[in-house]
Amino acid sequence: MAGNASHFKIRWGMAIDLDKCTGCGACVVSCQVENNNAPSMDGDDKLRTVNWLKVYRLENGKTFPDADVAYLPRPCMQCGNPSCVPVCPVVATDKNEEGGIVSQVYPRCIGCRYCMAACPYHSRVFNWFDPVWPKGMEKTLTPFTSTRPRGVVEKCHFCHHRWNMAKEKARKDGLDPMSLPEDAYIPACAEVCPTGALVFGDLNNHDHQVYKLAHSPYARRLLERLGGDPQVYYVSRREWVWKQLDNYLPGEDPAHGTKAKGGAHG
Amino acid sequence: MSLTRRGFLFVLGAGAGVTFSPVLWKLTDDVSIWTQNWSWIPRLQYGALAKKPGLSKAFGGGAPVQVLTVAGRPAEALGNPDHPLSQGGIPAVAAPEVQMLYKEARVKGPMKKVGDGKFEPIAWEDAEAMLAAKLKEAGAATAMITGDVNGTTAEVFSGLLKGLGSSDVYPMPCEQQTAAKGWQDVMGGRGTPGFDIENSDCILALGADLLESWGTPVRNAKAFGRTRPTGEKPGATWIACAPLKTRTVAVADIFVAVPPGGEATFALGLANMLIAAGASTGAADFDAFKSLAAGYTPAKVQDLIGVTPEALKKVAEALRAAKKPLVVPGSAISQGGSAVAFVAGMALNLLLGNVGKPGGVRALPELPTVVSGALSRDKLLDNDLVAWLSAVESGKKAAPKLLMVYEANPRYALPAAAKLGAALDKAGFVVSFSSFMDETAAKADLIMPNPLSLERYDDLQTPYGSGFASYTLGTPVTKPVANAKSSADVLLAAAQKVGVNLGFSSFEAVLEAKMAAVEGLSGFIAGETQPWQAIAQGSAPMGAAVADGLKKGKAWASIRTVEQNGIQTGAALLAKAGFKKPAADFPLLIAPLFQLNMGTPSMAMPEYNLPTLQESEAKGAAMYVGLNAATAKAVGVSQGDTVTVSSEAGSFKARVDIDESVMPGVVAAYLGFGHTAWDKFAKGRGDNVNKALAIAEEPGTGLSTWAAVAVKIAKG
Repeated sequence: MAGNASHFKIRWGMAIDLDKCTGCGACVVSCQVENNNAPSMDGDDKLRTVNWLKVYRLENGKTFPDADVAYLPRPCMQCGNPSCVPVCPVVATDKNEEGGIVSQVYPRCIGCRYCMAACPYHSRVFNWFDPVWPKGMEKTLTPFTSTRPRGVVEKCHFCHHRWNMAKEKARKDGLDPMSLPEDAYIPACAEVCPTGALVFGDLNNHDHQVYKLAHSPYARRLLERLGGDPQVYYVSRREWVWKQLDNYLPGEDPAHGTKAKGGAHG
Repeated sequence: MSLTRRGFLFVLGAGAGVTFSPVLWKLTDDVSIWTQNWSWIPRLQYGALAKKPGLSKAFGGGAPVQVLTVAGRPAEALGNPDHPLSQGGIPAVAAPEVQMLYKEARVKGPMKKVGDGKFEPIAWEDAEAMLAAKLKEAGAATAMITGDVNGTTAEVFSGLLKGLGSSDVYPMPCEQQTAAKGWQDVMGGRGTPGFDIENSDCILALGADLLESWGTPVRNAKAFGRTRPTGEKPGATWIACAPLKTRTVAVADIFVAVPPGGEATFALGLANMLIAAGASTGAADFDAFKSLAAGYTPAKVQDLIGVTPEALKKVAEALRAAKKPLVVPGSAISQGGSAVAFVAGMALNLLLGNVGKPGGVRALPELPTVVSGALSRDKLLDNDLVAWLSAVESGKKAAPKLLMVYEANPRYALPAAAKLGAALDKAGFVVSFSSFMDETAAKADLIMPNPLSLERYDDLQTPYGSGFASYTLGTPVTKPVANAKSSADVLLAAAQKVGVNLGFSSFEAVLEAKMAAVEGLSGFIAGETQPWQAIAQGSAPMGAAVADGLKKGKAWASIRTVEQNGIQTGAALLAKAGFKKPAADFPLLIAPLFQLNMGTPSMAMPEYNLPTLQESEAKGAAMYVGLNAATAKAVGVSQGDTVTVSSEAGSFKARVDIDESVMPGVVAAYLGFGHTAWDKFAKGRGDNVNKALAIAEEPGTGLSTWAAVAVKIAKG
């Protein structure tokens, strides 16, 4: 159920180093393959894509030679206080109290897209068409994420199936499945990233790198002041990048006093 | 009508019954489920999960992978954590490698041409008989183009051609050719230059798109990632010079805007500053180099290429301050690079004193050849395909009676596509071994499809750029899903039929021999110790079971280097360097970009990669070229305009994207679009930039280059 996630035992989260992301797209491709997104002719149309992870190109708006660029991978923020969850009329999405991942139950979704309207990050996508794989390619479907028909909303779930597998392995190995070591569970995007820009772990676990990164002075969150309490952090040393992560008043310094306490909506 | 008490209670009861019964809700739930349960939407197939090692050859540098299988069926390609060239990472072009098994453009079986663009399937026996007959008929007039210089397949090809009396075996243009020309022919170096990026603390990418497509991009990116622990102080300084903010530049600490073709000038400007600060080298031609560099004063460099003295000084000081500085010269598109620029960059490495040291340039040995009569890789790289095709086109050389093409798409991927396409037209009979219906296969006389990398035996020998020698075996992860047959096996059988003895009857046996040859060398199976750690320590582990490790998908690595004897700075060649500003008829310089998500010279952009395109790169049928606002204004175009970009060689169409990260006077354009064959996902998106890449013969080396192509841009 929706609510403040601070009391959850585990909160899976990600820290994305924007000073390391080259925008190569390996994460985007691996995400689709792992989660059974069908290829589409409209794959390059940002309004029609159904992929869960997008990489945005940020520009600082200056002219040459002062122009600068950065790349921002955007998975679901898995908000601690998600705006998508309370609006769903059929409870097809929830904030899981075990791990804090915002789920999506495809068979329950009636396609009203209220959640899409509520999400400030455009993290949710809608299937306007049935998925079609080129002949034979359906044999490469993974057993992890069920196929979705048209009329259904879908979204990133941090490769939740990998957590289930990691927990099973931990039980088998005699370890505590609720206290997994670093990297025992990471989503496909973070696994394949060539520069290691995507760091994944438990935001509540002080031994996990992501905990330290979330508390770094260089860490910011996307539209943090909306109060959604995102579980994805962006790390950068570039001030112009911080400025693009949230809305600031003219003259306001993003380096100071921008952190919202969360829980301001919903 | 009146409501009786009995009637009222009935309605009340029925209402309560419906409300509290789960039936309605269950039915609603079922409706929701069953209206999504269509027969035409594939269902997941479950089974035991496993991981098998594989080797993707989706791009020249190769991508070692682990393939997730479900009940033995391949489902997903992931990185190979133990392999030093992957370390768990994977490039965007190799990520959908498994799905490409079923790509629509896949050639389903051998086919012969029966009309313009029309093919009919034939049996493998007939295709092989036809090939043998053509080989006999053509004899010494047989030629071969290969897109894979890192595989032992090249030995089979060159051995066969030698047996036929032909030396016309050509690699597709690649970075190694420029490096071999510069390092061996000009500087007198031995071995293949490798770059120990992992152990360096200051890396200057001199033109190379180091973190995207140059050499071993995943290894480079992993090295970058390790030196930049997130949230902590960076362990290395990364400097990049390029005409725009490429993907490498986007994360570099220092960016210097250098126009295409200006890299040598920039390097000589740096040499000027380093020598002034006391840098020196024992090279025999150092005095000549010193006096040459003395002429490249900061003011002159600024005048020639626009780099300010402050920018030059910042880079020179970063290199001087570093303990293990390294310059990595290279072409932005990993082909057609200037040997002069390469030599200028390597001369900087001599000045920095890093040759043979950890974190520096390491001359790597070649692995031994095993096929009788085969060319070594260095000898193969001597063969300049573009120069040969230019000569064929102009009639200076005879066209081949039989042309065979392996893992290459020369009809699409060569520069000056119109001119070199005319040369390919002259070939008598063309055999394509392509797995896909690419532009070359579509015009071939006979197509004999090769299995994809995950369906065949293959190998990867020290990809260019790596700081250590390595060998990787590729074993099939699945049986071919198309009626494909290993091209190396096909040609080994053909060799027997035409009386050429290559010493092997199967490619698997060739690879066994290669593994045995590798086992006899000084090296180790990487995993617990990685090669860069061994380089830093100065010693490597010994005595592992090499063949066993290779079959498990691990890499054999060696930190051995080739001893040098009198490397020169190449001053005589560098004296001929000079940045040529574009003339009035073609006033701009083109900055082509090679991004692995957009495909490679031999592989069109996979459909799974379409969502990786930025709106500033392509949308629908249009692709974009990038210009900054000042350049756009000067040439009279604005955002979204459809334009034609032309050079002496040809032209392509695109739309304009105003990109302030592009330096003035430069048009940035992406390779990978404009396919005319393949399938609906690749065909008809944008135009082919290769058409406008005019070829120049480099003064002093005679190398074919297309590193600094002048173009003009016009609306329409």
